[in-house]
Amino acid sequence: MVDIAEIAVSAAELKLGTEPVQGSGVRLSHADARARYSLRARDAAVLEKAISRKLPGKIGDQTDGVICLGPDEWYAILPESTALQRGEGLPVSVVDVSSRALGFVLEGPGALAVLSSGCPLDLARMGVGRATRTVFETVEIVIWREAEDRWHIEVWRSFATWLWHALAAAMHASK
Amino acid sequence: MLLIHCPYCEEARPEVEFVYGGEAHIARPLDPSTYSDGEWEEFLYIRSNPRGRHHERWRHTHGCGRFFNAVRDTVTDVFETTYKAGEARK
Repeated sequence: MVDIAEIAVSAAELKLGTEPVQGSGVRLSHADARARYSLRARDAAVLEKAISRKLPGKIGDQTDGVICLGPDEWYAILPESTALQRGEGLPVSVVDVSSRALGFVLEGPGALAVLSSGCPLDLARMGVGRATRTVFETVEIVIWREAEDRWHIEVWRSFATWLWHALAAAMHASK
Repeated sequence: MLLIHCPYCEEARPEVEFVYGGEAHIARPLDPSTYSDGEWEEFLYIRSNPRGRHHERWRHTHGCGRFFNAVRDTVTDVFETTYKAGEARK
C-alpha cells in the first residue's frame, strides 16, 4: 500500500509545528531563541569598531555567528539577548531584527538531501561554517552549515509555517 | 538550470536567485529639467533589443543583493561575462 502524506486543504489547517519532526536519518526542530541583527556599512572597518566584533570579509563566510551576505551587508545570529552597540553618529546601520525571522535546525545524515529538495545550490560543496542567503522553492532563506550534518535555516516569520511543512513533506518523501 | 557567475559572490549561482534588470549602461539624465520630450522618450522607452550580444543588468536578489552587469547572447542564452556595476562596458 502506498503511504500518502496528509495534505492540508486550507491555510487555517497549516500550523507551525512546535514539536521536532523526525524522519529517517533527519530531524527538523526549532533553533533556540536568538538575537538577530542586520548590519550595513560601506566600510567594514568602521562597523567592526562600532560593534567591537570581527566581521567576515568574504561573501558566504561566517565568524562567530556573523554572516557576510553581501559586499556591504552582514547578518548576525547571536545568543539570545546579546546587545550590539548601535554606532550612533557613524556611517553604519545596526538594526535589531530578532523578531523578523525564525530559526530551524535540520540535522542528521539525511539533512543534505532534504534541504536539496528545494534549494538549487550545490550544498554538498558548501564548506562547514559557511553561510549564504538563497531560496527554498520560492521562499528566501539564509542557510548556515554549522556542522557536516547540521544546518541552521533562517526564514522570515510569514514564510515559516510553509517552510516547516515543506521540509516535513520532503522528509516524508525521502523516507 | 542556468548558472550565473555573480561578480560579487565570485561564484556561479543558480538562475532562480537572480532577477533580470533590463538593458545596462543607460545613463540617467544629469539635468532632467532640460530634457525635451524626445530625449525623455529615448531615455525611458528606446532600447537596443539586439539579436546576439546584449549588455544587461541583473540583480542577485536572493544572494548578495547586488546589481551587476552581464553580457548575454540573446540567441543562445549563453552568458559571455559578468562584471560589477560601475565598471566599463565589456
